[in-house]
Amino acid sequence: MKIAKTYGYLKKDLDVIEESLNKVIKAEHPVLREASTDLLQAGGKRIRPVFVLLSGKLGNFDLNRIKTAAVSLELIHMATLVHDDVIDDSTLRRGKPTIKHLYDNRVAMYTGDYILASALEEITTIKDANIHRLLAQTIVEVCIGEIEQIKEKYNWDQELRHYLRRIKRKTALLIATSCKLGAIVSGLPEDQANKLYKYGYYIGMSYQIIDDVLDFTSTSKELGKPSGNDLLQGNVTLPVLYAMQDRSFNNLIRETFSNPENVVEEDMEAVLSGLQKTNAIERSYNLSDLYLQKALNALEEVPDQKAKQTLQDIAKYIGKRRS
Amino acid sequence: MNTPSIEIRHLKALVEDKIRHAYLEKYMQKPIIDEEKLTILAAIINNTALAANQKERYIITTMLVQVALDTHELVPKTNNSDESEELKLSKQLSVLAGDYYSGLYYLLLSEIEDFDLIHNLASAIKEINESKMKLYYSKESSFHEYTNLVKEIESILILKVAKYVDDTSLDYVASEWLLTNKLIQEKRKLVNNESSSFVDNWLRNTSQDSYTSTLNTIETIIEDKLQQLERSKLNLPVQYTAIKAHLDSRLNEYIRENISIAEEG
Repeated sequence: MKIAKTYGYLKKDLDVIEESLNKVIKAEHPVLREASTDLLQAGGKRIRPVFVLLSGKLGNFDLNRIKTAAVSLELIHMATLVHDDVIDDSTLRRGKPTIKHLYDNRVAMYTGDYILASALEEITTIKDANIHRLLAQTIVEVCIGEIEQIKEKYNWDQELRHYLRRIKRKTALLIATSCKLGAIVSGLPEDQANKLYKYGYYIGMSYQIIDDVLDFTSTSKELGKPSGNDLLQGNVTLPVLYAMQDRSFNNLIRETFSNPENVVEEDMEAVLSGLQKTNAIERSYNLSDLYLQKALNALEEVPDQKAKQTLQDIAKYIGKRRS
Repeated sequence: MNTPSIEIRHLKALVEDKIRHAYLEKYMQKPIIDEEKLTILAAIINNTALAANQKERYIITTMLVQVALDTHELVPKTNNSDESEELKLSKQLSVLAGDYYSGLYYLLLSEIEDFDLIHNLASAIKEINESKMKLYYSKESSFHEYTNLVKEIESILILKVAKYVDDTSLDYVASEWLLTNKLIQEKRKLVNNESSSFVDNWLRNTSQDSYTSTLNTIETIIEDKLQQLERSKLNLPVQYTAIKAHLDSRLNEYIRENISIAEEG
């Protein structure tokens, strides 16, 4: 089953959000407009708007206000993707050429800045201090997370808590914020909004851990990039941290990456097979499941409604994700 | 109201304090805080009836936006396949630092719940990026039109804030001076045989001009602008005495610099 089936009944609302996304980024300059709309048309799961919508459905749902929050969050996410492609020098995203590849870094920087500004212009039509403090804090934390990720590259001595803090900033915070914004906009009581924030946070942690596992367990064809590419780029993820508790793998990785700039795809075969011999993948899935359980627990006191059921279904879907 | 240099130094220190980040400082060149924009902005904001802490917040956040935009200009247009790890890291951090400074402006204004200023600054960022794209794909038929685009890029942010605080009396002088200052900087680069992306971009899109003819045109425009500014500053409202003094000092500096270049031959 595809994740979109769990929230198929939101299609009409998602179409309204899609239409609004297109309107908001209508730039005047043809290249800026084309770059932004191409990115939009490349699609994506729109998972952040889905979380805003579902949380919103639990309160006094007003599509106009919910739409503003959902559009802003998706634009913030999109802006970070455009800039991330410059950072990672990526040529493809979702199977299509990136803006930096189609044009150049300069156009990608201007497009990302334009999209982020569009998001802030949009969200400030809602005058609610709680919304802006939360969102602003999240944006700053996401940036710090990305800076930390670069700082911690090839650091084989980092601790588990460093990894967890990094994925919190990289993925979990924006999903948690999506859930809470939907709740605030729909006037849910603070305690409920906080429960939804926790749900989003735990889901985000679980999702990112599985993503990091898949980097080792999926084929290059499934990933659209070489297996173990995260590690090749120097990103030390959970499976690696667990596997490094095995002395021989620990030696292998330190030896392989003694000169990181010389490591090529072929060198990764021994590392990948070494990692598979440890219990790192199983332990990573266990931690992901633990976060999923916490996500489901956070929903316990949320009123029983269809949207709650969908949030539970999404959690279960994420838990079963193996490709 | 006055904006003496000690206050500008204090404001600059406040902005520097906000953008302080140990790792970024270690691997990136220190962000440049545009003192000309800061001086004009401080003059405009100091002339309002806002509370002292609010004035400070307005100035810091607007400058954060400027620093964010300027930091993103440091990202090279294209990647060199054999770029060093150091260069690659500096590029990556320039992308992230610019985003981080943008996030800080939003955070600081959300703390004082000034949603309308957040909105206005965001609109300014959009307009600036539209103008930057026009400049990048410059189809302007004349250098005059090209410099008009530069004027927009240099002054949109300040003019938006001036409009927001309902004092547009400095608009003309501010935008003309910011353009002139930019042209002076670019001229210095050319005279010192340094590369100028401003001129390179113009020459890339035009077949008519050369480096020398562009330098001559820049000099002519600077001279015209200086004369205009001499006249315009006489009409500035009395509360902008400090800006008048600042402009006098900067114009004299430029004239002295030119005399010494001429004497050195």
